[in-house]
Amino acid sequence: MITKGSIILFIAALVLFGWRRILAYLRFFQQEEYNQVRFVRWMTSHRAFDKRGTAIVACALVANLIFCGGWIVPLSALLAATALVVTVYFFESDPRSTGKIKLVMTQRATKIASASLALYILVTLLPLGLLCFRSCGLHEAMIITCLFALILTQSPPWLLIDANRLLWPFEQSLQRTFIDDAKGKLAQYKPFVIGITGSYGKTGAKAALGELLNQSLGPTFWPKKSINTVLGITRAIREDLRPYHRFAVMEMGAYNIGSIKKLCELTPPQAALVTAVGIMHLERFGSPENVYRAKSELAQAVSQDGILVCNGDNPGARRMAKQYDKQTTLLYGLDSSSGALDCLATDVRFDDGGTSCTIQWKDKQYPARTPLLGRPALSNALGAFTMACALGAEPSYAAACMANLQPVDNRLVLDRKGSVGFLRDAYNSNPTGFEAALEVLGTLPASRRILMTPGMIELGEQQSEQNRRLARIAAGVIDLAIIVGTVNREALLAGLTDGGFPADKIIRVETRDDAFRILASQEHSGDLILIENDLGDIHEGVVRF
Amino acid sequence: MHNSRKRIAVLFGGRSVEHEISVITALQLMLAINPERFDVVPVYIAPNGAWYTGDQLLHRSFYRSVPAGLATLQEVTLLPKPGVGGLMRTGDSGAQITDLLSRRDEVIPIDVFMPVFHGQYGEDGCIQGLFELANVPYTGSDFTSSAVTMNKYICKRYLEAHGVPVLPALTLRRSDARTDLASAVQSITSHERFSSFPLFVKPCNLGSSIGVSRVKDVTELPAALAKVFKYDTLALIEPCVTDIMEINISVRDAGTIEASVVEIPVSESGVLSYEEKYLRPGGKKSGPSQGMAGLSRIIDPPDLDSDIKERVSALGIKSFELLGCSGVARLDFIYDLTKGELYFNELNAFPGSCAFYLWARSAPRVLYTDLIDQMITTALSHFAVKSSLDRDIGLKALR
Repeated sequence: MITKGSIILFIAALVLFGWRRILAYLRFFQQEEYNQVRFVRWMTSHRAFDKRGTAIVACALVANLIFCGGWIVPLSALLAATALVVTVYFFESDPRSTGKIKLVMTQRATKIASASLALYILVTLLPLGLLCFRSCGLHEAMIITCLFALILTQSPPWLLIDANRLLWPFEQSLQRTFIDDAKGKLAQYKPFVIGITGSYGKTGAKAALGELLNQSLGPTFWPKKSINTVLGITRAIREDLRPYHRFAVMEMGAYNIGSIKKLCELTPPQAALVTAVGIMHLERFGSPENVYRAKSELAQAVSQDGILVCNGDNPGARRMAKQYDKQTTLLYGLDSSSGALDCLATDVRFDDGGTSCTIQWKDKQYPARTPLLGRPALSNALGAFTMACALGAEPSYAAACMANLQPVDNRLVLDRKGSVGFLRDAYNSNPTGFEAALEVLGTLPASRRILMTPGMIELGEQQSEQNRRLARIAAGVIDLAIIVGTVNREALLAGLTDGGFPADKIIRVETRDDAFRILASQEHSGDLILIENDLGDIHEGVVRF
Repeated sequence: MHNSRKRIAVLFGGRSVEHEISVITALQLMLAINPERFDVVPVYIAPNGAWYTGDQLLHRSFYRSVPAGLATLQEVTLLPKPGVGGLMRTGDSGAQITDLLSRRDEVIPIDVFMPVFHGQYGEDGCIQGLFELANVPYTGSDFTSSAVTMNKYICKRYLEAHGVPVLPALTLRRSDARTDLASAVQSITSHERFSSFPLFVKPCNLGSSIGVSRVKDVTELPAALAKVFKYDTLALIEPCVTDIMEINISVRDAGTIEASVVEIPVSESGVLSYEEKYLRPGGKKSGPSQGMAGLSRIIDPPDLDSDIKERVSALGIKSFELLGCSGVARLDFIYDLTKGELYFNELNAFPGSCAFYLWARSAPRVLYTDLIDQMITTALSHFAVKSSLDRDIGLKALR
């Protein structure tokens, strides 16, 4: 009786263990946007397979294979059960409340987690049934249970993938209903839709344009943060679009060729703003030309009598303006050396309070000031200014409103704590943004300039070369370098060496937290620290199962 | 005499930029309210304007869970219809409301409504208008006084006409600035009193220093105006008298009109910012913000001339009476140190922390609990007076 009970307890512990592991893996599955290919790639590259659970079960199995005495079954079952539960509930933290990006139990996540658990329990029913129907002895039952358990401990990530696949038809029909609802609402309220795309800067440009239109022309709707997918925009429209909105600003993310086209079908744009065509996400697109093609879908979706505003400083965006010329096509930029600009910012200066400049627009000059820091942020604000003016805003008022713009989370934000300054540029670093951040780092007053970075990712073949190039530029600006993680360590070291940076001023750490600990212990008055890029935990080699 | 225990609905939050400050004031107030005489029903108006009640609202930690946590509350509303007798439940919810309310009645009976709002929709006459329509007793100033004191420009002009000294002020409409900013700026600087800087530029209908700028020269004016028009459709422009001292006082209606001791707020930058008013003293590092009660200030400064104190007190009472205020208000004055002149600056119909910190130091001393008791008593007596007014002359013209 005791023996049988202990095996049942062992099975129950396996269920508790499985549930916690399902949630732990779901956190990363969610970060990979429920894309199984990317999820499996992450698992294999980080060897994120279960080790602890397997080790516990293996010990129990070996013990049962070696000893045949009646006492070994209940003892090993109870010990293994305790170890499994202690491991996931005491040694591992709850994925819903820890980590840089926490697991958010959305409806979809809840459904996937529940379905995975159901599948998991289904598997545990087999050894349980074996036990109950007594078709074999208890010792054999324990051995069979252990063998099942070896499969179970490894199963959570795969069950998540299966559950996702099983639920997909339902999910799809639900999504279709939501999308139709959003389309209907948009058709009914008829706001003037402006689409924004770009390899980088589109979120900042969206916020800037939303603010400028809202303040200088009329009520404007824009999905918050970096919402830029069909489902994200659908949800934002269903929840927050109102009949009084005169304008709607939509950020359109290109994840593949055709994804912007899909977004343009959801929210047909009457005007488009293109911030940059660059080399971000090159791994997904294959070639720079494909990136250009993907971004062009926005310009193509705007009708001939519409408005196209492009960043003249960016060759790809400039080319797009030429190729898809509209009735109103405007170029903006900070540098007129690569061709004529309709809107130009000159006399760019940085200080602790932000960036100031003079805007030249239609033969007139407007002084402007914004709390945003760096050339990319100014460029976004300038794009927003150009679009607002093209839509009828009074230029001097729109320029004055630039003072009300707020930095988008962690995109080159200066944060002074006593005499130490932190320049945070921790979101999706890209070569242009990195270079601009280094410029600001070099301009603002400081007694010691420090760079802390894991380098840039998702740059395809150019990743190593670009990280090396930026590290070389950094060498001329900084006094201390802290390299986080191993993803770009070699390239960054090489770049710093190219730039003649002293090796004893380079600190290598494993994680962001280690870097902060070192920073805290070495802080000097007058330090200015640039935190360039912060990779999600998906890229840090710290996951252990 | 029937059981005098009253049920008080304390309303707070609201669709205002000062939403959080209202929550802080309300949490303090609900702790101070006399539990022997009153039962509190907290009513939280979420930023989207929906009304909720539930015991969780008494705990500061709850507000971190908003908006998700709202689902655990009971949604309620006040109908603009006399005779309902309290708050109506709307929608369904599993919220726990104090034992005596756990019956699933449609109406939660309320004796007195206590609006604890700062800024728009709560301190400006809007919600007071709803109380009037619903014909329920409510604490504080009525809708006319609330509306007049919220509009800084109208308030100044009205008091000026009755002999209260005020500094000159100009207004500028958002629509004018948006059509032609250059001439809007020109229209300000062409005035004699406004051609020299610095100037104060602030939203006409907002409190809490949000949107306020101190403008050093003409080039800073466009951005300062744009900042105001992010929050308000009317900008108020005032000369910035440089050598000044701010003096605040609280005045209340306790049957007779009484004034508290004065205070001098201390600021580092010359103008109290929102952060200074509400975040700095109890900033993230040193524990939860205490709202206005946590500000750096000198209460009843011993070295301030007693003549000035008396002048502030007399002008405070006069302004409060002229504006027809009730409950507890805080009046802010500006004292020109060079000329020795005193000017009325603004009146807060419902001040942060209910200005209890001033009454606690006044003679005779008034405790927060007693301050609230008096507000409720006054509300009931005002309601009794209004109830005796004849509003029904019958239908004659239509017959």
